[in-house]
Amino acid sequence: MGFLKQDNFKRDVFLGIVVWLFLLLFFFIVPSAGIHDIIQKVFILGLFAMSLNILIGYLGLIAFGHAAFFAAGAYTLGLFLQSNVVNILGSLSIPIAIISAIFVSTVLAAFIGAICIRLKDIYFSFLTLAFQMLIYSIILALVNITGGDQGLMGGFPKPPFLGIDLGKPFDFYAFTIFISIITIILLRQLIESPFGYGLRMIRDNPERPAALGFNNQRHKLIAFIIAGSIAGLAGSLQALLDVGAYPEWAFWAKSAEPLFMILLGGMHSFLGPIMGAFIFEMLNDFVTANTRYYGLVLGLVILSFVLGLRRGLLDWLLIKFYRK
Amino acid sequence: MEIFALFDCIISPACLISQTAGGLKIGMLLFLVASGLTLVFGVLGVINFAHGALYMLGAYFSWQVMAVTGHFGLAVICGAIGVGIFGLLFERLLINKVYNADLLVQILLCYSVILILDDLVMIIWGDEFLSGIGVPEVFQIPPLFIFDAIIPPFHIAIVVISMIVALLLWLIMTKTKFGKLVRATAVNPKMLEALGVNTNVIKAGVFMLGSFLAGLGGALAASLGSVVSGMGNSIIIESFIVTVIGGMGSIGGAFIASIIIGMARSFGAVAMPLFTDGIMFLIMVLVLIMKPEGLMGKKK
Amino acid sequence: MLKIHGISKSFGGINATNNVSIELKPNSINALIGPNGAGKTTIFNLITGKISVDKGKIFIGENNITNLKETVITHMGIARAFQITNIFPTLSVKESIKMALLAKTHGLNNMWDRFASHSVNEEADNIAKLAGLKKVYNTISSELSHGDQKLLDIALALALKPQVLLLDEPTAGMGPEERWEMIKRIKELWQKTKMTVLFIEHDMDIVFDIAQTIFVLQQGAIIAKGSPKEIKQNQAVIKAYLGGGKK
Repeated sequence: MGFLKQDNFKRDVFLGIVVWLFLLLFFFIVPSAGIHDIIQKVFILGLFAMSLNILIGYLGLIAFGHAAFFAAGAYTLGLFLQSNVVNILGSLSIPIAIISAIFVSTVLAAFIGAICIRLKDIYFSFLTLAFQMLIYSIILALVNITGGDQGLMGGFPKPPFLGIDLGKPFDFYAFTIFISIITIILLRQLIESPFGYGLRMIRDNPERPAALGFNNQRHKLIAFIIAGSIAGLAGSLQALLDVGAYPEWAFWAKSAEPLFMILLGGMHSFLGPIMGAFIFEMLNDFVTANTRYYGLVLGLVILSFVLGLRRGLLDWLLIKFYRK
Repeated sequence: MEIFALFDCIISPACLISQTAGGLKIGMLLFLVASGLTLVFGVLGVINFAHGALYMLGAYFSWQVMAVTGHFGLAVICGAIGVGIFGLLFERLLINKVYNADLLVQILLCYSVILILDDLVMIIWGDEFLSGIGVPEVFQIPPLFIFDAIIPPFHIAIVVISMIVALLLWLIMTKTKFGKLVRATAVNPKMLEALGVNTNVIKAGVFMLGSFLAGLGGALAASLGSVVSGMGNSIIIESFIVTVIGGMGSIGGAFIASIIIGMARSFGAVAMPLFTDGIMFLIMVLVLIMKPEGLMGKKK
Repeated sequence: MLKIHGISKSFGGINATNNVSIELKPNSINALIGPNGAGKTTIFNLITGKISVDKGKIFIGENNITNLKETVITHMGIARAFQITNIFPTLSVKESIKMALLAKTHGLNNMWDRFASHSVNEEADNIAKLAGLKKVYNTISSELSHGDQKLLDIALALALKPQVLLLDEPTAGMGPEERWEMIKRIKELWQKTKMTVLFIEHDMDIVFDIAQTIFVLQQGAIIAKGSPKEIKQNQAVIKAYLGGGKK
């Protein structure tokens, strides 16, 4: 098993398949719907947080409007599956709905990104926030299409495809985790590619790359678009899970969630954000089962991470036990 | 979009006047809160995301004082001063630890404080809406009629109070020694320290003043509506809009931006009732694209 | 190799660069000297396109590069190292040099290979050897000594295989011994690579020791140029620069 020590695409695919198979087995070993639900959500939110961490951890851009793409993916999928197109496409509906969701959030990210990346620091953050809230306002205003503040109600069909029926808990569980793991493997490839090192270079020193003949802006835009498209995918999976889409997914507080996950898990380790999503979900599950004051507990945990540990858990563990 | 409704409103004196007055009230109340935010950013370089939570505390504090004493003026003043003191503690215990930290760390610290405060007020005061502290007796008189526009006298009082605060703020910042020190701290804190000035005191003072303004805004808001946990979460975004449009750190800019946003909300409610918030964000997006430093901000 | 024809630049009405002409012969090593505030770094910024030229033209070989974008000019064969070290703090020496190599060939658009096993490794090795950074090859840049950081900055420029190399005070912030070591290394580099080098330097002993041609800048204008011997005897230079006293 020597090749496991090498950091390459083959190894990642191998590990991905192993984790997937293990989680499938886990489904039957621990037959608890609640735990299955948590695992699904960890992957969906983990994708969301990991996509944001492309910008925050690797590019050093504090994007504060990332939920816009999450919501765009969710609403696109929901509206697509509620439309009559489903009758025509039949069993192809779900794959095409997911692809459409990714496509719409990609286009949106290209548009918003092209404008936002011209600004720096806090101004960039504020512009992403403003765009997100603009989209939130549009979702609320287009009551006839989006259901306004009620959200996309009434559910939608989930026609089976390739023998996968997302109406069944196991199929949904296996499918969601499969898609997430593929995306994570691709993301890993991106981050470890020369392109990914270009992101680190911009983060480290945005002034120098131009003197190396390197175009920062184009690199930033591509990263922004990729991050947006993955957030859109996460949103579409969330919409499939909840059979609906809600305007809160476009509200600014939704953009704070992946920030928490990144903080909790660590922004400098590739898997930090998904570990953060895990902590976030466990906390959510544990705390809401015991007290109504979830915000208080979450707030105190975040505070202790910010002032105490000063880095995410995975970052901390790696420094402590691995990179002495 | 009901653009004709807007047109009808503009040509009708009653509607024009009442919407203008309404916009002025919204804008001035917003200015109280946003001026504190922009002041803190301008001097300390910290984006106080928890500013809206301080506003909420102001509302709860004044509600409590009102419940005990029944005195409106006392309730508002105690609310504002109470939040000022709270802000001082907040700055000394937490904020000063992240002055030089990343933007992300500042945001997360402030956001955790929002989460904590939102739940704490629920634990202390319950999670029901509390009915506001109401309008003081002096103003419980028939409204003014100007060209058939109905204008509650208390709204006029709020605008006047806010204007006075704006004037005082301007006087403090330009005419007093404290103001000079504050402006110097914003530009070159190291220099001041070398001259033997304790900039920590000034920073704490500025944060206290900013918190006081948020508390005052919250206390006055408690007289116009109900008090509830999470009430700061929309005012904070509006304050950001004002801060950005006016120019980050510019109190004069915040004043103008507050009026713009007040009017946009007031007339937007006529023209596009479902998109009133959207109009604000559209303005914010446009300003950031065309003039990122804001209307009166300094170019970097 | 590099021809500058009467370039001028003013900031808010003040002439930072006034009708400056410089011509560098291929494979030559040249110094740009002048008192603080003479506008030496501004000239570098004008050559590399970091700031735009108001008047005049700049050529590299036969190509007019006046007011092209910084990235484009870099690809046309001009590279620079900075006065204040301008490196990538969290990347190692090896990674940084590889980044520069890839930037040169647009290799940073590549999403399908692994950076760690990318084929430029050997080339990066050579650059590191050339710059004398082999012993700290895997060290994180922020942990390097000041001198090595300076060398890394130069190595990044070398990785671009430029025709013209601009060095902005390569010995800034160094002790006397370190200085001479650095300058020896630069001289070696120049001899090995046969690039055209233009460097800014304050230490006159160093300048007179290695520069073939010296350009003297004062208040944005060239007041003298020539070999070390000529410059040493130039009355204007002595008065403005070496003589001290009256200004």
